[in-house]
Amino acid sequence: MNELSRRAFLKDLGFSASALSFLYGLPSLQAQGDSSPKKRLIIMFSPNGTLPDQFWPDASGEDFILKSIMEPLAPHKDSLLTLKGVHNKIGGNGDDHMKGISCLLTARKLHRGNIQGGGHTPAGWASGISIDQEIANFLQSRKETKTRFGSLEFGVAVPNRADPWTRMSYAGSNKPIAPIDDPHQMLQKMYGQMKDRESLVSILDDVAADLKSVSLKLTKEDKNMLEEHMSLVRQIEKGLVEAEKESSTVHPQPELDPNIELVNDNTPKISRMQIDLLVNGLANDMMRVATLQFMRSVGQARMRWLGVNDGHHSLSHKPDKDKSAQDKLLKINKWFAGELGYLCKRLKETPEPGGEGNMFDNTTIMWVNELGKGNNHTLENIPFTLLGGGLGFKMGRSLHLPGVNHNRLLMALAHGFGHHIKEFGEHKLSEGGPLDLA
Amino acid sequence: MRNLKRNRIYKVTITLLLFLCAGSFCYSLEINGPGKPMYMKQCSSCHGDKGEGVNGEYEEALFGDWSLSKLTRYVIKSMPDDDPDLCVGDDAAQVAKYIFNAFYSPQARLRNSPPRIELSHLTNRQFRESVSDLFRQPASDEPAPESGLSASYYNSKGMNKKDSLKKRRIDHKIDFDFGSGSPLEGVKAEQFSIAWEGSLRAESTGFYGLRLTTPNGARLYLNVNIKEGDKNYRDDASKESNPPLIDAWVSSGNKSRTENARVFLQGGREYPIRIDYFKYKESTGSIRFEWLPPNGVWSVPTGDQLSTRKGEQLILAKTSFPPDDRSLGYERGSDISKEWLSAVTRASLDVAEQVDSILGYISGVKSKEDPQKSEKLISVAMRVLERAYRRPLTEQEKEQSIGLIFADSESPEVAVKRVVLLAIKSPHFLYPQLPGGKTPSYQVASRMALGLWDSIPDDALIGAASDGKLSNQDYIRSEAERMLEDTRARSKVIDFFYHWLDLDLERDLMKNDKVYPDFDEYKISDLRRSMNMFIEDVVWSKKSDYRDLLLSSHIYLNQGLAGVYGKSVEGDGMKRIDFEKTERSGLLTHPYLLSHFSYSYNSSPVHRGVFLTRHILGRTLKPPPQAVSFENQNLDPSLSMREKITHVTKDSNCMACHEIINSLGFSLENYDGIGRWRDTENNKRVDSFTQFETRAGDLVNLRGSRSLAQFIANDSNAQKNFVQNLFEYMMKQPIQAYGENTVDDLHTHFVKSNFSCKELIVEILCLASTKGIKQEES
Repeated sequence: MNELSRRAFLKDLGFSASALSFLYGLPSLQAQGDSSPKKRLIIMFSPNGTLPDQFWPDASGEDFILKSIMEPLAPHKDSLLTLKGVHNKIGGNGDDHMKGISCLLTARKLHRGNIQGGGHTPAGWASGISIDQEIANFLQSRKETKTRFGSLEFGVAVPNRADPWTRMSYAGSNKPIAPIDDPHQMLQKMYGQMKDRESLVSILDDVAADLKSVSLKLTKEDKNMLEEHMSLVRQIEKGLVEAEKESSTVHPQPELDPNIELVNDNTPKISRMQIDLLVNGLANDMMRVATLQFMRSVGQARMRWLGVNDGHHSLSHKPDKDKSAQDKLLKINKWFAGELGYLCKRLKETPEPGGEGNMFDNTTIMWVNELGKGNNHTLENIPFTLLGGGLGFKMGRSLHLPGVNHNRLLMALAHGFGHHIKEFGEHKLSEGGPLDLA
Repeated sequence: MRNLKRNRIYKVTITLLLFLCAGSFCYSLEINGPGKPMYMKQCSSCHGDKGEGVNGEYEEALFGDWSLSKLTRYVIKSMPDDDPDLCVGDDAAQVAKYIFNAFYSPQARLRNSPPRIELSHLTNRQFRESVSDLFRQPASDEPAPESGLSASYYNSKGMNKKDSLKKRRIDHKIDFDFGSGSPLEGVKAEQFSIAWEGSLRAESTGFYGLRLTTPNGARLYLNVNIKEGDKNYRDDASKESNPPLIDAWVSSGNKSRTENARVFLQGGREYPIRIDYFKYKESTGSIRFEWLPPNGVWSVPTGDQLSTRKGEQLILAKTSFPPDDRSLGYERGSDISKEWLSAVTRASLDVAEQVDSILGYISGVKSKEDPQKSEKLISVAMRVLERAYRRPLTEQEKEQSIGLIFADSESPEVAVKRVVLLAIKSPHFLYPQLPGGKTPSYQVASRMALGLWDSIPDDALIGAASDGKLSNQDYIRSEAERMLEDTRARSKVIDFFYHWLDLDLERDLMKNDKVYPDFDEYKISDLRRSMNMFIEDVVWSKKSDYRDLLLSSHIYLNQGLAGVYGKSVEGDGMKRIDFEKTERSGLLTHPYLLSHFSYSYNSSPVHRGVFLTRHILGRTLKPPPQAVSFENQNLDPSLSMREKITHVTKDSNCMACHEIINSLGFSLENYDGIGRWRDTENNKRVDSFTQFETRAGDLVNLRGSRSLAQFIANDSNAQKNFVQNLFEYMMKQPIQAYGENTVDDLHTHFVKSNFSCKELIVEILCLASTKGIKQEES
């Protein structure tokens, strides 16, 4: 075989997860799954409040009509559950945006800190773990649900700064988790070992050829040393090919545009890349819990791809009577719903690995926002929406709840996974236990 | 010049021929004398026909450096083991003579197995240093750096924004408690911010702990390229900026928090550092930056550990490797194992990843859509491969190794990663002694860089090689002198001293705290610094005199150490303190060294004696015939340490070696277990007078440490031992492989240069860099 065809051969071969672990003692890309149905959770965040009139269905119950913002989710209406009347009642330090995002999944107070918002007292990080991490820890603690990562935190256009406006996931008190908003960085995290392997193989021939050519004029003793070296190089190559034969196939990693720049105008492309990676990671059972965070609280994305040139946060402050601003906010929120729709579609297209149906059936998605409404900064009626299945909730409904604390919604998620916690976040606000969504 | 050189080679050849003839004549007489049959009859059943040892009998090979007379005495007294009376008188003398000349003496060993320059791969240190330098950027013109970090103090205004710069100054450490007040006049107490910037200098290689302690907000950036105008200058980091190593930006209830990080750093190098700090309405303000060097203690970096130099990010090979072979007394890359090769592979992947993260910086590609991206990345790849090969690439290599990889990879970025993998895994890189297409000039450059830096040639050296200048001894000398000024040379030289002085193996220096209550881990760490300063002080002075290393009577002490060692020092930091000449004589009486060779509760004359015999005088010692442990508690408590050791080693089997060991060790009895001076020990006057038998069999009176140091400083065998140690540490090859007279020639030069260490280093490079591994004629 000549140089080129050999390289091409090795390239075509591809490199599987188990080949890597065999050769380098690295952990396998996936953990060993079991046969019981997998349950998964995705939490998607979009910022700056919604337009309640364009969001909440008027009717409650199973017979309802989707409003404008929700139109992109029409194909998934049967698996959709809107939850009007859920409030973030945490209070304490920080402005409403900070409390909106940093108490959203932690359901507990922020520490007093040195980050000053517009009004209120300066605040620091949340004082405890968030629900996604709580559930991931629970799944990781059991052999049958343990995965390589437990959870992965995806971001789209999240600014490179760490403060209470930019974090929703927490590993614990004062322990925010940064979402990864660079698809290449995420790909590296998920598949870096395999890419490395591929690169290594591509240069093995050059190394072997060099070893041969430099040995020519050496004395016998010195030659021996290089021959030993050579035989080790061959061993590595052989081990690789053999491991390949034994390995099982996995969902191939997505191809990413190598030249994508992380700039505002590329947001739609980056969003799709991240969603593809997220679905791929779930399909390969690298994790059962994921978050997908668009921008940040108070984010100023300029969605020029929608014909909107103003910053999102500034628009969200405009009064209801400002028709132009309302139109733009509608476009913006509808765009987020569209990305969510794409996520649902991708999950539906993917058959449940080792099971029946598709992945959407066993994945619950919760769409969240830090505010109920942008221009009055309310923390009531946060637009909590659930999609998908697997947690035993009765979907295809619009619920009008009588003002419940969001702690109870988060508890319902945990209970859906069989993690029967008695409270979550602030003790008093957990009263009443998990919300009954069955 | 060329003529002169040829003349010299000619002369050397003639001398060598004469020597060989004379040698072979004597040789045949000595090894065919009457001693041989007696040896074969009475000795070979235990020692083997050629003194190689016999399994189950006496397994150690018979070689050493006793004089013939001492060897004879030993045979008379103790051999054969089961019946020492069997071989005495003239018979014993004949047998000893045979043993001595046939295989025992160093000369015999040299003759029986002449050493050669062996092919070896990079040692671990060489690998790390070389990898870092593959990606080194040309040094930028900067004003001469000062010690400390450049500090900028700002007033802030609402929402944590920096407002006005109030003051720039240099801070020598980051350890401030502002209380509820302002850091300096003109800055408001309620909210302000400070940025510190410069470099952090690591002395030793390994994992460092770093930590920030503050009740306010702070970030630490380390070993990233921090540029003027970088958005890091704002309170909020932005997309283009680097992620901080420690992010303690958000405070928590004005409680003091400590945030840690652990990083691998290579010794002898500087790393760019930046610390951003701000206070916002919290009632108190403070910040402390500390580090934990390998084998050190948590402390606030200060003095020379901080500099205002704006450095650049260093690529670090932090993968752990199996230890190098040290069986010949110096580290060398002689083992090929799966563990080693897989460490190389892991390191290459890790390094490729790091390079990817600074690709924009080193290639000048600012955007992924840069139309010249491919060209720029190809030129980065070429430079890396050329440096790794230590020579220009051939056209075929440019096509095969660069062209094909770029054509084959999904993006130029991936191609660069692959070229980095190839560069690091290539035999050209890993086996620098391979000619591998290098002209003699490039080979010289490659050996010089390894010898002095453990690294690859820099651009200047490669330039000299490409002009063919390195075939000229004068030019080699001037390059060596230039290279000696580089920090990499300083780092290698200090490492050599720790190696030579047997201080590079980890030993527990903690002492019994009832006996030495003042001696703690902080003192140990300070003593090591003091030792470093002393060595650098002498070696890098103009005279660079080897004898000063052994005779100078000053030590660097700070306030804490001064208290322990009977001096007083005012203020912060280390000060040079002069002692009485009788009390301190250079390295051998430095408390750091003495503490190493001590018990936890007292001196250890045996450890000191063995150290001096092996490492300073370069003599071989066989392992003891039977293991005897020193059980202090079972000995008469009224005895002095000297009396106890004399008692325990009095057996004649022991005394064969302990004669030497004890006589050297006892001469340092005026120092206790932590190297403090003492006149009495255990209520008895210290007796440090001894008689020492030299290699030639002469007796020398040693009257305590000063006289020991003087003897060693002037002893030509000790000097030659130093020459040989330095040579082999630098070149990683046996010195005899460069010719039988190399030690003597270098020694002669050393004497002529008034024992200049720097001059010796240069001379070693001149001599060794022109000789390489043997090649078969094709």
